Amino acid sequence: MAWFESHWLSTITFLPAAWAFAGLVIPGTSKGAIKNWTLAGSIVTFLVSLKLYGAFDAAGAEFQLLENAEWIPSLAITYRLGIDGISLWLILLTTFLTPMVILASFNSIESRVKEYYFLLLALETGMLGAFVATDIFLFYVFWEMMLIPMYFLIGIWGGKDRIYAATKFFLYTMVGSLLMLVAIFYLAYQHKLQFGVFSTSIVDLYNLQLASGGFWSVQSLLFLAFALAFAIKVPLFPLHTWLPDAHVQAPTAGSVILAGVLLKMGGYGFIRFAFPLFPQAVTYYQVPFMILGTIAIIYGAWVAMVQPDVKKLVAYSSVSHMGYVILGLFSMNAIGATGSVYQMLNHGVSTGGLFLLVGMIYDRRHTRDISQFGGLAKTMPLFAISLMIMTLSSVALPGTNGFIGEFLILLGAWQAVPGLTVIAALGVVFGAVYMLWLVQRMMFGPITRKENEELTDMSWREIAVMLPLIVAVFAMGIYPQFFFNKMEPSVNRFLARSMPTAMAKARPPTTVAVTEH
Amino acid sequence: MDSSVIRPELLTLSREALAVLTPYFWVLAGIVITMLLSVMKVMKPKWPVFFVSVAVCIAAAVASAALAGLPPVSLFADMMISDPFSNFFNVIFLVAMALTALVSLRYLDEEKLQYPEYYVLLLLSTFGMMLMASATNLIVIFIALEIMSLSTYVLVGFRRADRRSNEAAMKYFILGSAASAVMLYGAALLYGTTGSLQLSGILNALKTNAAVMSPAFMLGVWLTAIGFLFKVAAAPFHMWMPDVYEGAPVPITGFMTTGIKAASFAAFVRVFHALGYGHGLSEAIQSHIHDILWVCAVLTMAVGNFVALTQTNLKRMLAYSSIAHSGYLLVGLLAAPGNANGYGPVMLYLAAYSIMNLGAFAVLSILAGRGDSGLNLHDLAGLSQRRPWLAFSLAVFLFSMAGIPPTAGFAAKYLMFYSAVQAGEVSLVVISVLCSAVSVYFYLRVLVYMYMHQPVGAPPAPRWSIWAAGTVGAMTVLTLQLGILPSPIIELVRRISASFA
Repeated sequence: MAWFESHWLSTITFLPAAWAFAGLVIPGTSKGAIKNWTLAGSIVTFLVSLKLYGAFDAAGAEFQLLENAEWIPSLAITYRLGIDGISLWLILLTTFLTPMVILASFNSIESRVKEYYFLLLALETGMLGAFVATDIFLFYVFWEMMLIPMYFLIGIWGGKDRIYAATKFFLYTMVGSLLMLVAIFYLAYQHKLQFGVFSTSIVDLYNLQLASGGFWSVQSLLFLAFALAFAIKVPLFPLHTWLPDAHVQAPTAGSVILAGVLLKMGGYGFIRFAFPLFPQAVTYYQVPFMILGTIAIIYGAWVAMVQPDVKKLVAYSSVSHMGYVILGLFSMNAIGATGSVYQMLNHGVSTGGLFLLVGMIYDRRHTRDISQFGGLAKTMPLFAISLMIMTLSSVALPGTNGFIGEFLILLGAWQAVPGLTVIAALGVVFGAVYMLWLVQRMMFGPITRKENEELTDMSWREIAVMLPLIVAVFAMGIYPQFFFNKMEPSVNRFLARSMPTAMAKARPPTTVAVTEH
Repeated sequence: MDSSVIRPELLTLSREALAVLTPYFWVLAGIVITMLLSVMKVMKPKWPVFFVSVAVCIAAAVASAALAGLPPVSLFADMMISDPFSNFFNVIFLVAMALTALVSLRYLDEEKLQYPEYYVLLLLSTFGMMLMASATNLIVIFIALEIMSLSTYVLVGFRRADRRSNEAAMKYFILGSAASAVMLYGAALLYGTTGSLQLSGILNALKTNAAVMSPAFMLGVWLTAIGFLFKVAAAPFHMWMPDVYEGAPVPITGFMTTGIKAASFAAFVRVFHALGYGHGLSEAIQSHIHDILWVCAVLTMAVGNFVALTQTNLKRMLAYSSIAHSGYLLVGLLAAPGNANGYGPVMLYLAAYSIMNLGAFAVLSILAGRGDSGLNLHDLAGLSQRRPWLAFSLAVFLFSMAGIPPTAGFAAKYLMFYSAVQAGEVSLVVISVLCSAVSVYFYLRVLVYMYMHQPVGAPPAPRWSIWAAGTVGAMTVLTLQLGILPSPIIELVRRISASFA
């Protein structure tokens, strides 16, 4: 037990993969056993990960639950783990969503079941590894390793154009991350030049002084190499084109994980690496990125509005919602940054929920064409309620989680660039338009098609999938302080680091006061 | 050195020299025994020849591994040297040879090519490679190159009844001979301008006499380089390779991608080291060699990766991918003097590349139908359902070639690019990683067929043998192991590289 006490993060990270390997002994024909085994594994992982909430002390050191082991000593690459208040929540989001996507896949995946559940658990290990790594090289390894299971999940169990979508997803991510790898090498080498030893530990790299000023400066180029990798993952306009393809083609579980966790990897990358490592470059690129974020918000919303395919609509709404994350982060103040982190969690819950609901209706009707539906509220009341709640969370109704995130982001962005904020705020309106219009077309009105009359409402299994998400929507909307408490010191520390010294002094990070909602 | 004086002491070997020559003696003994066995008509020579050739390779590999820790020993009046560098490569060649023999056994039976000469030629070729990695004299390098090449020309044409195989052998022979001639001419010019065929003598002349750096010398450098660039199939001297790879029997293709490439790079490293690259001798020669290699590296990576995108035959695709990998290796060569890891990245890359390539070609030789048919992309459709483990292994090898963690190929690539960034070659590294992003596409395409397409028709029954399957399994484990725990081998190549310079 003593080993576990000092290796919580390794335990949580590798538990799903170990569970998956153990599950390989189950013969591929006993599908039920494989499903239950995998579900059990993900629930155990979630329960173990709850331990992190208690173990993490918000007032304590920057990175906690540290682990440090040699990996490739000759290149000074270490196996170094640790979490702060931001990665804590993203880890919990990951472990929280995984059991639900596994449960949601029970009826929709019937072929090659063993491989499917193996890959899902392997994917969870990859995602958790990226969130706990505090060695930048280790982060990169996990970041790349995540691609492999996701690629197969889309490519094998996806829709008609799954191969195109899977390949596009892989190549987009690969191009961005390879340039980041070069930048990582450069940073490690800079550490050698400045401090005499190679290092890829981010705590060490934070101390680097890099030349800044202008596009061709070292800092600017390195920042762009990192930003490209993360902006593709977020995905930021105009690098978002892989996302609708991947989302639409992926099986439900793939879409949920993609929206819920993988996109967060981009935002997390900005927070953990791109901002603190290159503070001057961030200031230099602040406005361009805020403009791109705003374009993503508006553009994503507009394109979502005209989609005939409900899954594609949700996919474009992701582009819009993740635009807020970028807008908030690049506002460079405590309110915006807190809002962004919160919005990442919200988006995982609400868009994840929407994708799950889309998957449920697709399992029944085998179509995602909005015009095929109408009046479903009569035949599927529980489904309609769930969809309504997720929609309200997505359009940021006060009382739901979405409101807190978007409100803080807009508040933060207003302090930075008021003009853009006005435009971005329009995105909230457009968001309400396309989401509510979607609900209206699918749920209300008369039942126009005979097939829709015999639809069965949500099963107990499906209710079990949705209920935790619905609880999370309200919990995060009504009592956000619970989440902020662990997050705040880390966000402030992140900001203090990410601002050029002079600015940080002139404008000390203010604490967020949002309890009065 | 006055050549008219006979110095008998040069012809006797000290006890120390005999000891470090053990691997070479093993292989020579193997060659003699297998040759004798193959002419003895009293029994069917297949099994004895097979076992002898594998056994001597294992014995020689063990001997080389044991010798790798010893300090360098100069042999035959400085004609060759046994040092950790040469022993490292010897292990690669010998393991490649042994595995090729294992994979070939069933393959040759199926193709009705089970002639004992096959193993003799393989051993001869291996012997040539070992000499190449240890030669320190331009003439010996040339002889070694010819021993290696001539045996390989025959092996490429081993499928006598197949026109493609004949064409490949002919093409390889003619172009290879031309390249050898060019290289020999380069060696003559180097000798003429420096007065020495010894690599150390050339370097000495460069260091002591600035007048050596004449246009004739530079021409010699160029021509010698072209000889090597041809052998490693660097653009624009790569034209022969796809046809030869496609025409050669599958196991031989695997052997060529690993053995010949590694041997040529080993000799390339020694010669370039001697030609003054990276000694801070003269800015002119430094930048001259640098620029040639830079252009070659970029061309090679671009040609290899972009042309591979359009290939539908796996052997051809891997041939172009092999060209591309030569490009990455040139990056390592180029950056070697400027970073703390020296030639270590090149060595690790060659080792990793040999492992994944031997594995991939072992899979292909199991899958191949009569006359090497059945190796088109669509023949692999649904392989993951028919042969899950074979598909998994091939997937691991392909991910490794694409440089995706956690595989040996990733470890090799990051050590190489990390070192190149330290050497200040940032723009070259950026080009390299973009090229390798391109390569992901065609490696993935194989996976698409194996995992995402449904099987069509009845493909040829795989040619299982315990030997080939064992090879695939061992290479898969090794590929993953080097990817997850690369530290020991990185330590090793760094140490060897440090002792080399």
